[in-house]
Amino acid sequence: MPTDMTVNGEARRSARDPLTPLIDVLRDEFHLTGAKPVCREGFCGACTVLVDGEPTVSCLTPVGMVGGCDVVTIEGISPGGGLTDIQSRLEQGDAVQCGMCFPGMVMALSHFLAHTPRPSRDDVRAALTGNICRCTGYERIVEAALAVAGTRAEVRR
Amino acid sequence: MTVDAVMEFRRRDARDKLTGRTRYTIDRAAPGMLHAAVLRAEVASGRLVRVDTSKAAGLPGVRAVATAADAPGRFGIGVSDHSLFADGQVRYVGEPLAAVAADTPEQAQAALAAIEVVIEPLPAVVTMADALAPGAPLVHPDWRDYEVLPVGGARAGNVAWEATVVRGDVDAAFARPDVTIVESTFRVGRQNHMAFEPRAVVARYEEDRFHIETSTQVPWTIRNATARFLGVPASQVRVTVPPVGGAFGLKFDIAIEPFAALLAKKSGRAVRLVNSREEEMLTCLFRENAEIVIRSAVTPDGEIAGREAVVLMDCGAHGGEQIFLTTMTAHTLGGNYKLGAVRLATRAVYTNTPPNGAFRACNGVYNTFALERHTDEIAAAIGMDPLAFRRRNVLGDGDLGATGQVFEGDVLRPMLDRMEALRARTTPHEVEDGRLYGRATTVGTWFVFTGPSAATVNMNADGSATLVTSGVEIGSGSMMQGLPQIVAATLGIRPEDVIVRQADTDAAGYDVGVGGGRQTTSLGAASLAAAQDVRTKLLAFAAQLLEATPDDLVMQNGRIEIAGPNGKGFTIAEVAARAQAELGPIGGTGAATRTGVPSMPGCVAGHFIDAIDIPVFAVHDCEVTVDRDTGHVEVLSYRVVQDVGRALNRSAIGGQIQGGVVQGLGYALHEEVSVDDLGRIRQCGFETYRVPLAGDVVPVEVDLFEGAPSLGPLGIKGAGEVPILNVGATVACAVANATGRRVQELPLTPPRVLALLLGREPELALPHIPPAFADNLVRPHGQPA
Repeated sequence: MPTDMTVNGEARRSARDPLTPLIDVLRDEFHLTGAKPVCREGFCGACTVLVDGEPTVSCLTPVGMVGGCDVVTIEGISPGGGLTDIQSRLEQGDAVQCGMCFPGMVMALSHFLAHTPRPSRDDVRAALTGNICRCTGYERIVEAALAVAGTRAEVRR
Repeated sequence: MTVDAVMEFRRRDARDKLTGRTRYTIDRAAPGMLHAAVLRAEVASGRLVRVDTSKAAGLPGVRAVATAADAPGRFGIGVSDHSLFADGQVRYVGEPLAAVAADTPEQAQAALAAIEVVIEPLPAVVTMADALAPGAPLVHPDWRDYEVLPVGGARAGNVAWEATVVRGDVDAAFARPDVTIVESTFRVGRQNHMAFEPRAVVARYEEDRFHIETSTQVPWTIRNATARFLGVPASQVRVTVPPVGGAFGLKFDIAIEPFAALLAKKSGRAVRLVNSREEEMLTCLFRENAEIVIRSAVTPDGEIAGREAVVLMDCGAHGGEQIFLTTMTAHTLGGNYKLGAVRLATRAVYTNTPPNGAFRACNGVYNTFALERHTDEIAAAIGMDPLAFRRRNVLGDGDLGATGQVFEGDVLRPMLDRMEALRARTTPHEVEDGRLYGRATTVGTWFVFTGPSAATVNMNADGSATLVTSGVEIGSGSMMQGLPQIVAATLGIRPEDVIVRQADTDAAGYDVGVGGGRQTTSLGAASLAAAQDVRTKLLAFAAQLLEATPDDLVMQNGRIEIAGPNGKGFTIAEVAARAQAELGPIGGTGAATRTGVPSMPGCVAGHFIDAIDIPVFAVHDCEVTVDRDTGHVEVLSYRVVQDVGRALNRSAIGGQIQGGVVQGLGYALHEEVSVDDLGRIRQCGFETYRVPLAGDVVPVEVDLFEGAPSLGPLGIKGAGEVPILNVGATVACAVANATGRRVQELPLTPPRVLALLLGREPELALPHIPPAFADNLVRPHGQPA
């Protein structure tokens, strides 16, 4: 039975077995290779996408489970091809190294920052528990998130 | 001319990586591409009686099957002891037995399941103690028949390679009446790189040549090793490398490329092969486990009159990188300090376990741990302050290293001063919750692995330049920042206007590979030379146009002008375009290799490098607390003073230091690999192998030490590898200081630390390292085979 879903605002249908991991459908069928299959066990977070707005590890999500859902991948997070605030801060902060974890990092942090008005450093670190980075030692990622949060707080005032 | 290539230049690949557009090897596909899979042995040792692929070959979708008969050759960095498939004998759990390519990954897996394998089990040696026991079964019974690339290494049975250093009369030093003799024993486990992109390859066979697109640090090794395994001329193999999703040394050796290449040739189709995370874990090419005994004779005022040490490195079932790395003990364990007399033996030992490999500051990380903990034990034994002992003994200008090379410049001593200043900037942490507090400062010696590199710079008529090398962007940013900065600064153009070609062995000349801190140094030296070649040609042409001499001209800000206010001139694009029209396109080539700093004759045997061209020093400091009830170690602060020669891009180096230190914290505290009695790696993924998370780390305070002598281009040194060097050492010394216990092993997991605190951790004994130095050797130092 095919699965119908919305991916990055577009109606899509997958004919794959409903138990197929969502990440394989995204990457192999829809050619959205931004999400990375790194551990396939839900530990590293590199395959994180938003399903109905919630950060979800696409490696442990059978495609059948997202029928009728709204899926947003890293390719769809910034309509128009620009950078979101967090992407922009990460670029300015020279945070990126090998880059494999960043699609998942960006998805997780986007959701976190949208739902946490004034996060502390520890809040950010805790929010990154499900997103492993092997290159950077995290510090610049934390700094970028705090910078985005700080800017938003100022705008609100 | 002087070139100032120092810039705060942001990497150009960040945007694509942040938006998911970067196409790593795992993201690549080709029309009609097949999916490959490799059948691996499930026992550590056995006679391979039969591998029958006939049933598998007939299954639906299966397009090609390969076995040992298809890959007759052997390869190895020092000793050609590595066959692509098990060759009559199985030597480790995970050793390849056969490979298949099919239309879908599921069909490939079904084909593996249909291959009939008969293995007659043989006794296995799983530990180095097993392997060195009298009468131990040999991992390579035919070790005598293997081709040995360099001469001089002593080998025998399960000792794959032995490197020795002897300088001065060590026995006499130890017999002096005024010395205290301090002996320390250490053991460390393996470390997994956990590169996020697994080893992955897409191979094609076109026009009688292999084209291998792969996630590697060493395109030329892949080219040459694939050719050797498959028994074809190396010129028939082309290797290209997309952006690499993390490597850390894991991808410094041949991996799964030849399987895909073979299957592509057999099937006539493109073939994709990607390791699963489990395969990555099981066949990791880990940082090797090691065992170390070090002994020093020290005078009451702190002079190190004599030192001897034996280091055992587990190479697993093939010698691989470890054979080369036996060389490094001379410069790591034998580094840091002035020594009266010294002798060192390093033995790479075969075991029936998965082969080990290279990992950031290979060999240096655990030898620095051993050396610095030993140093603290010496200081305690003679009643001297550990920092004062270090200040007294660190290598300075004109001092001899272990192999007799003469070090230039006072570097470590002023770096210790800088660390003191860095420490003084913040007050030490107060701990009031009953946890134990400890602090330590350590020093470390590393080097730049120089060696051959080539570069071409093509000057384009639009004023941009194209840099062509075999360099690979593995994440460190060298291809994105350091190299374009060097070319841009030489040519007076913007770094954005330097196009950097991805590695292609058909386009660029030979290169050793990306690792050993050599990328910005060695490829940088070649790139600088190539850019200077272009500069000279452009200036000569411009001088004609301007009726001046090249010496009268300046080349900067995109223009070539006669020096002086309002000097007449042209844009570089105009000069390049006119030169192209009148002379043909302007290009330049450059090459670099090691200059060869001498050692003292007779000091070394079995070494691949006798002395180090570009030493790199590091001083680290950290504060920790230890929970008395759980044994949990928390790092409160971390500081690094790093010798960088000259910092081309401070932000890039800062990123490497933070990342390298955090990888080291994982090694020091919780990244644990264990091998069970049957030779199987116990940790199979992120759940069981615990890497640092965001909540574990601290911001590293960094001070870059500039101005130390360097043979590197523009005075630079490699900066990406060394940050991990003394992290294990510093944390171990701090934990020893906090607990008052003898720290002899890493990682310092809570159970191990708790056992130390409770006095339940037995004193480490290594009976397979005999007390008499000579009893550790296959043959006496320097005696010909």
